[in-house]
Amino acid sequence: MAGVGFRRWVEALSKGKRSGISALLSGCRSASGMTKDSLPGPYPKTPEERAAAAKKYNLRVEDYEPYPDNGEGFGDYPKLPDTSQQERTPWYQWDHPDLRRNWGEPMHWDFDMYTRNRVDTTPSPVSWSSMCKQLFGFIGFMLFMFYIGEKFPAYQAIGPKQYPYNNLYVEKGGDPEKQPEEVKHYEI
Amino acid sequence: MASFGRALGVLRAGTRLLRRGPERLTNRKASGGPHIEPQYRQYPQLTKKQKIDSEILSGAMWFWILWHLWHDPDAVLGHFPWPDASQWTDEELGIPPDDEE
Amino acid sequence: MHCAPTFSSSLLIIFTLLIYPILTTLTPTPLKPNWPLSKAKTAVKLAFLISLLPLFLLLSQGTESIITSWTWTNTHTFDINLSFKFDFYSTMFIPIALYVTWAILEFASWYMNSDPNINKFFKYLLIFLIAMIILVTSNNMFQLFIGWEGVGIMSFLLIGWWHSRADANTAALQAVIYNRVGDIGLIFSMAWMATNSASWEMQQVFFKAQNLDLTFPLLGLILAATGKSAQFGLHPWLPSAMEGPTPVSALLHSSTMVVAGIFLLIRMAPLMHNNPTALTTCLCLGALTTLFTATCALTQNDIKKIIAFSTSSQLGLMMVAIGLNQPQLAFLHISTHAFFKAMLFLCSGSIIHNLNNEQDIRKMGGTHHLMPTTSSCLTIGSLALTGTPFLAGFFSKDAIIETLNTSHLNAWALTLTLLATSFTAIYSLRIIFFVNMDHPRFNTSSPINENSPTLTNPLKRLAWGSIISGLLITSYTIPLKTPTMTMHPSLKLAALIISMVGLLIALDLASMTSKQHKITPQTTLHHFSNMLGFFPTTMHRLVPKFNLILGQTMALQMVDQTWLEKTGPKATTSLNLPLITTSSNIQQGTIKTYFMLFILTLTLSLLAAH
Repeated sequence: MAGVGFRRWVEALSKGKRSGISALLSGCRSASGMTKDSLPGPYPKTPEERAAAAKKYNLRVEDYEPYPDNGEGFGDYPKLPDTSQQERTPWYQWDHPDLRRNWGEPMHWDFDMYTRNRVDTTPSPVSWSSMCKQLFGFIGFMLFMFYIGEKFPAYQAIGPKQYPYNNLYVEKGGDPEKQPEEVKHYEI
Repeated sequence: MASFGRALGVLRAGTRLLRRGPERLTNRKASGGPHIEPQYRQYPQLTKKQKIDSEILSGAMWFWILWHLWHDPDAVLGHFPWPDASQWTDEELGIPPDDEE
Repeated sequence: MHCAPTFSSSLLIIFTLLIYPILTTLTPTPLKPNWPLSKAKTAVKLAFLISLLPLFLLLSQGTESIITSWTWTNTHTFDINLSFKFDFYSTMFIPIALYVTWAILEFASWYMNSDPNINKFFKYLLIFLIAMIILVTSNNMFQLFIGWEGVGIMSFLLIGWWHSRADANTAALQAVIYNRVGDIGLIFSMAWMATNSASWEMQQVFFKAQNLDLTFPLLGLILAATGKSAQFGLHPWLPSAMEGPTPVSALLHSSTMVVAGIFLLIRMAPLMHNNPTALTTCLCLGALTTLFTATCALTQNDIKKIIAFSTSSQLGLMMVAIGLNQPQLAFLHISTHAFFKAMLFLCSGSIIHNLNNEQDIRKMGGTHHLMPTTSSCLTIGSLALTGTPFLAGFFSKDAIIETLNTSHLNAWALTLTLLATSFTAIYSLRIIFFVNMDHPRFNTSSPINENSPTLTNPLKRLAWGSIISGLLITSYTIPLKTPTMTMHPSLKLAALIISMVGLLIALDLASMTSKQHKITPQTTLHHFSNMLGFFPTTMHRLVPKFNLILGQTMALQMVDQTWLEKTGPKATTSLNLPLITTSSNIQQGTIKTYFMLFILTLTLSLLAAH
């Protein structure tokens, strides 16, 4: 898709059509700091408008799918698949290899989230819901078991330490005048 | 003996390389030691020194462990014997015999 | 005997020695090619030798001192001083850190030999080391914070050393972001100390905090330690940081920077010992970390990742020691762990480099015959990590587990820690089995050569350290709390027995690999362990998405662009429009309307006047 869009753009530019210039302008668009010119246009209603919008975003008409017209301000901006840049193949000759992105390629609405060192949507061997369930299940189980462990602590039953001289009565700051009766726990 | 001779040869080649001086800059690991050729489908060249070093280190470790196990087993097995309460007699505990009264 | 001048002057000499090579790089003349080895390494070595002086003095005289040398800023109620603390912890830690760094710098001159910016690399390492020394010697929260952030920044720069690789950038960013989460806790605690004890000097904080409820500042400190020491929840940055060069992993992520969090808690232990909430939190957090990361280490295939996870697991064990209210045991484990973990990293670096940058342990094997010195050191390190009697790890690890067994504590935390101990034996044996034993499985042409003295000397020095340091350090440590000496033999031998059980299970599993009874089923547990407990995968997607929903969708699109626009400008319009239309539509030049308005106004004003 991306490569096709790029080639179409090159063709358009080489033919010297006006659309080349507009494609150039949309290609220069950065992820932030939009001016009024670079904001998306109105939601396309007719097939012709759709075709024009797709051309504006360097997309084929088949690939072009705008956000639903809910009045959320997306306009004619294309709804691109939610895939991260990290997921793309590293072996293709990207124009920006570090971004894995071709020049003039349309950006995802949340492109700043899907850059290579942020969210990675690469498919995993375990499904997303199963991963979440296992992780949060693990954490929940651990918290529960810590609670149980707190209720039933582990300890070695030991008596208090016994010391000579009446359990160090004087040494612990007792009054030497009135020593308590020495407790004898045993008899030999 | 043959391996020793080979190691000596390696060492000799290495010292020759060392003496050559600045030309060694092309070498990837340019920080001394005998020169070892990268091998293809061959056992790598080993020097005597590295074998002896490894034996000394492992030997020292085992000596250290075993020597201390022999002379200082308390650190592993416990410093003081744990009193076995079931062996205490009634007399020691001051419990009168069952038929007393 | 008055020792303070010796302490301060030796610290000054150490700083001067470490700063001097950094200053020499400022001259416009290009440095000599052997600058790293001849200047940087020698400076660290000299600094190590000098740092032994205060250590010997401390061990023979037993004097600890606090030196306040300079008032930084001075207000009526609040002073920030430059003050250093030379107690057992800092005086012991500096020589260990310098010894390990000396070895690592020498190793780095071999490992990074072909790097064009090797001088810059050494400069970063030296700056990092200075920050670490500032951290451990500080007696002042502000000074500690400088060291804390200094190691954080240097870790970012060093993890992202190969910054042209997006993975290295991601790892560096992760390290910085996770550490900043921890810093929130530290700053919170510092703010609490400033408001409640009007000082950042530690002894004053301890004095003033005696009768206050300390739960919240302690939780802040625990959060700080969680970030820095990669405890559960903020741990994923540590395995990711293995994207950096191996000397960086050896220095930062095994022996110095990651223990800074634990070190902070050791320093703050006087605040903690009366607060059961904080202690229980530490204990449970440490136990969870040590088990979780040990589980992750079981099935990793990248040699550095295994060692990184084992570091995280040992950090969890240190946290458990803090939770047991035994900061000294935690410090002991820091000290012994530094030697063998740094050596394990250097061994992995040697193997990786000799096998043409191969990190997958499945593609190694047979190095026992091919790299005898490295594999000997790897075995010694693994044995020390497992807690083999009388090697370094034994003295600290066994002491922690003995204390666990004889304390009154959370039963589940005890179970998890013991389980993690046996896992340690399993993954250590796994490394040895895949790397040292069996036949080689790597490419047919490998430039195997471990004869460089800059490689073998550091390995050997650290190997000696791993063998004898445990006994040395423990015999010079005066226990602050009476250790339990009498215990049931089963408790005394618990650590050894579970390690042996782990070892036997691992041997059994290892023998299965060569038999191939059946196709290995891809079980759920294997996925859980191999994918790091799904923690990074899920968290690194959920949290940014949640932030995006909060930030963009809710704050920007819903509140700013929709509701604020609706209630602000659009509401003004819709409120005013009917009024405007009505009042302008009235003005049609009809005399009746004007009279009507006149009467209305008159009536109203009469009513108002009445």
